[in-house]
Amino acid sequence: MRLPINLLALTLSILPSTLAVFADEAYNTDYHHELLGLPQPHTTFFHRPRSDEKATLLYTLSDLGVLGAVHPGTGKVVWRHVLEGEGYLRPVEGEGTLVSGTGKSVQAWDGMSGRQLWGNSFAGQVKDVEVMETVAAGEGEKDILALFEEEGKAVLRRLKGGSGDVKWEYHDATEDLPFQVSTNVKDVFVVSLHGARGGYNVKVSILDPVTGKKINEYTLTTKGDVHAPEDVLLVGANSAAPIIAWTDKLMKNLKVNILGKSGNLQTLPLKESDGEIVKVTIHAPDLVQSLPHFLVHSHSAVSNRADVYHINIASGIINKEYELPKLPGKGALSTSSQDANVYFTRTTQDEVIIVSSASHGILGRWPVKVDKTHGSFVYGAAEVVHKGTDSYAVRSAILTSEEDWVMVRNGAEAWTRVEGLSGAVAAEWAEIPESEDLAKTLEAEAHSNPLSAYIHRCQRHINDLQYLPGYLQELPFRIIGSVFSTDIASHKAGVLVRDNFGFNKLAIVATQRGRVYGIDSGGHGAVVWSLKAFDIPTGKKWDVKGIWVDSSNGIATIRGADGEYILVQTVTGKATEKMEPGNWPSVQSAAVVDSPSGTWILPIGVDGNPGEVPAKWAPKENIVVQGKNGEVKGLKFDVQGSLAVPITVWTFQPPIGQKIIGVTSRPAHDPVASIGRVLADRTVLYKYLNPNIVLVTAVSEESATAIFYLLDSVSGDVLYSTTHDGVDTKQHITSAMSENWFVYSLWSDILPTTSGLLASKGYQIVVSELYESDVPNDRGPLGANSNSSSLEPTDVANAEPALPHVFSQTFLIPESISHMSVTKTGQGITVRQLLCTLTSSNSIVGIPRTILDPRRPVGRDPTAAEQEEGLFRYQPVIDFDPKMILTHKREVIGVKDVITAPALLESTSLVFAYGIDVFGTRVAPSAAFDILGKSFNKLSLVATVAALGVGVVVLGPMARKKQINARWQTA
Amino acid sequence: MRVSNLITLLVLPLALAIHIRVSIPSSQQLPHPNSLPASTHATLTTISNTYSAPLRADNTFDFRNVSSGSYLLDVHCHTHTFAPLRVDVREVVIDEVGSDKEVNVWGTFRGNEWNNKGEAVQAQKEEGTWTFGVKVQGGKDYFIERAGFSPLGLLKNPMILIAGFSMLIVFGMPYIMDNMDPELKAEFEERQKAQPNPAANPLQNFDAAAWLAGSTSSSSKKTEVLSNVERGITR
Repeated sequence: MRLPINLLALTLSILPSTLAVFADEAYNTDYHHELLGLPQPHTTFFHRPRSDEKATLLYTLSDLGVLGAVHPGTGKVVWRHVLEGEGYLRPVEGEGTLVSGTGKSVQAWDGMSGRQLWGNSFAGQVKDVEVMETVAAGEGEKDILALFEEEGKAVLRRLKGGSGDVKWEYHDATEDLPFQVSTNVKDVFVVSLHGARGGYNVKVSILDPVTGKKINEYTLTTKGDVHAPEDVLLVGANSAAPIIAWTDKLMKNLKVNILGKSGNLQTLPLKESDGEIVKVTIHAPDLVQSLPHFLVHSHSAVSNRADVYHINIASGIINKEYELPKLPGKGALSTSSQDANVYFTRTTQDEVIIVSSASHGILGRWPVKVDKTHGSFVYGAAEVVHKGTDSYAVRSAILTSEEDWVMVRNGAEAWTRVEGLSGAVAAEWAEIPESEDLAKTLEAEAHSNPLSAYIHRCQRHINDLQYLPGYLQELPFRIIGSVFSTDIASHKAGVLVRDNFGFNKLAIVATQRGRVYGIDSGGHGAVVWSLKAFDIPTGKKWDVKGIWVDSSNGIATIRGADGEYILVQTVTGKATEKMEPGNWPSVQSAAVVDSPSGTWILPIGVDGNPGEVPAKWAPKENIVVQGKNGEVKGLKFDVQGSLAVPITVWTFQPPIGQKIIGVTSRPAHDPVASIGRVLADRTVLYKYLNPNIVLVTAVSEESATAIFYLLDSVSGDVLYSTTHDGVDTKQHITSAMSENWFVYSLWSDILPTTSGLLASKGYQIVVSELYESDVPNDRGPLGANSNSSSLEPTDVANAEPALPHVFSQTFLIPESISHMSVTKTGQGITVRQLLCTLTSSNSIVGIPRTILDPRRPVGRDPTAAEQEEGLFRYQPVIDFDPKMILTHKREVIGVKDVITAPALLESTSLVFAYGIDVFGTRVAPSAAFDILGKSFNKLSLVATVAALGVGVVVLGPMARKKQINARWQTA
Repeated sequence: MRVSNLITLLVLPLALAIHIRVSIPSSQQLPHPNSLPASTHATLTTISNTYSAPLRADNTFDFRNVSSGSYLLDVHCHTHTFAPLRVDVREVVIDEVGSDKEVNVWGTFRGNEWNNKGEAVQAQKEEGTWTFGVKVQGGKDYFIERAGFSPLGLLKNPMILIAGFSMLIVFGMPYIMDNMDPELKAEFEERQKAQPNPAANPLQNFDAAAWLAGSTSSSSKKTEVLSNVERGITR
């Protein structure tokens, strides 16, 4: 039993290799959806990153605030940045530069490399950015106009194109809602909304571009047509004649004003063709040299049509030039300009056509060959290339109603990005249901009488013979495949099957836009199905409180905050039951509970009140909820007749000034392989294995402290608490708990009061292990009792609870951890790995528990006995070795949560991370000890056996001949 | 008391704003800083104050409006690691000499106390901007290669080398002998005859079967040879 020390030293020396990502497994076992979010209509465009080259990239600033460049040929992301939420993005024509305005900052980016050129932030919120076109070319970088809202007033700043420094500022005196900025070459226009919400008038201030002084100001009366900023359809960008347009209430007429012409409000009739018009959009070119033409696209419920108007700059009169006929269904229209020419691209379900703004002649027409599962086209950005006389090519990146971003090149689908998968808010694992036919027949046979069972079995086997030829045909491929194949769990695309190792599982993902996706973890994270669960209004997020998957019947229940829920079949993605939001009471959280009638997901209403439930659905265990003021409560369901009523058993209220920011419990699947830890002298430290413990994190902002309380969730007793001073409460404070240990991380700083002490500044991770007693072979106050109660721990009345002994240790880490989770395996024999999300380096790191061991000897080398236990010397710093990074070279942005699930193999745990991006992999924290991995070279084994066989065949006759010769010659 | 100190700490940052620019010079580990990915960014962190700046096209990080405090500067990069720095930003003390610097930079060591400063890094003030450089520590290597089977690795084994060498002698010797100059060959043979190999392996003509059968064959063989010689002599 006793292991030799040198063998243990050997295991330690090979330890790092078991944690790392193997070069041949990277990109093979893991999968990654590199996402941007939904591209927005006004911040998505083709642009030349090098003005002297013709190649363009596709740029977008998405609804999640991700600025990215996509290669239009392949659909691969070139570079990405996560900015502060939605905003504005403009290309600087002729410079290869992009300007973004998000949150409080305006930044300029190099289109090719994605590097920042300059950035500047101000006090107010950015409301719009625009590029200031210069009259003469070659005057250096073009300046940027940035509109801010500061304390309810409009502030316009002209920023220098080279540095981002302020050239001039214009402060509006009145408290009007700043809306947009626009410019023709002569003037700068600040458009603001005057009045109150519900009835705005449009105010246009005309500024001098050189000094920023106000020249003129006029107000357009809207007669109550503009209720909200969204009602203004367009404020024309950098065209020669920028316009502002809105529709009247009934969508009968379009009101247009050419900016700068005060008395000129023109009314253009909107033609109804097929019932009422429901949506109107206006498309106009952005280039200053483009012809002053624009297009009005009107949708009715069943069809869409468009009118093209020309502006006469001299007279200021707008004339209708031609119209695009009505076509059934929805369609996307997009503008692209080449020098002075303006092209409109119309993509409908059947065909793509391009027309010039000057005349109604169709320049190009292609039939649409796009997979129908993407849904209808909503909006897009197009690029028209004039290849020669009467020869055109067009490619458009179009967002579809199923939230896919499709590149349509001359009518054909070039690539698709599943952008709807971004912005995931909740996810859960689901098993692929086993085909249960065989199990059922076997069961039937077992219950019938032996003779009929035997006949049935024979019949079944004869029936199975029909599959034999196919099996035999496949056999050589299977053998060859298993010898040469590099993939352990080979997987057929598009087929959902369980595999022998349990690697193929489904991840059910709910996104903030109300969609649900099914992702196959075995098939490289392919999207198996997707479903629009609820229509979430723009500007809101679907707040999913819990997903519970019932593996026995393959149904996932998703519960939202407004009482809505949906039941989805995990394999097909069909909704079987649905409740719209608002019909049921609001939900604060949801918990999966065990009841006499089975497991179900219990919604907990506001203030932590789950309400009454039927007696047979009453949860068996106590539940822990957060109350109105953030206090933590323990609830127990008391059966009263046919109903079960929640009763507050205990309440935990932290001292005044402390705010509870998090409650962590042990995972639902948390098996423990060994109840104790065997020390080198064959004594045992017994683990404190209480399933009913929760870790409560509280912070005090005034005193910059973080306090962690370990509570018994049955009695509400505080088992352990610890306080950290000098903690930055604004940064992430995360925690995780499993087995008999918990970890948390925080930013710890020096306080002036502790300056005399040895203090350090940086991120810390603190690990604590709980044992029943600090004395080996002692089971603490509970002794050898097989059962114990948290409420009455001993026979003595009102005795104190049995407190665990805690070993604790702090390590310094180089980066902030935004989320922690723990790997799960089937039996818990495999050493757990702590999975930490690192936001600043866009990665996920797996820290093995052997490093995070609080019993590592401090300040000395381990003794022989300690070495035998696997302890090595304490080092205060855990440097995140790149080999520990599970995401390796991939950059996984915006990870919100990491979920894990056990595979059938004990060594392996499945990992799935979601947020903006989606990433999944398999980890084997103690190395893959139960599977022949890629390190086992089947080919060389076969080759060795074959070589030996050849040797025997060749040398056999030779040896025989020699022996015979020897006999004859000696005799 | 602690609270009041903290409040002063919180109030102080509003007092002034300093522009810091951190550059990545090209070095032996990183000859082309332009090759760094666009996601590279730097953070200045102290309690309740964090600044983040993306890498600019000219390989610098730009921190505008930094308030006073003692910051930890980290550079987060996907391909390279950088040494952390301690950046102290202080209130302006305008004295006549003007020697008091607003920005002081030192190297720092994780896991050591904060006052344990490393080598000072020179920060220069140019046009109102404090500029200094960060050091690259090395590239990041995410993967480990699996130790696979390679025939060349097999050849490195000393046992195989010894066996190969003896094989060479056994099979090569006759060939060398054949190609030898006749005179030299004769001389060589002469010499070999003159001194017969004294270390003849006794195991070479060991008859295992006979030995197991219990006969003392070697001695009998010897006597046989001897008798042959004798017979030859008698002739």
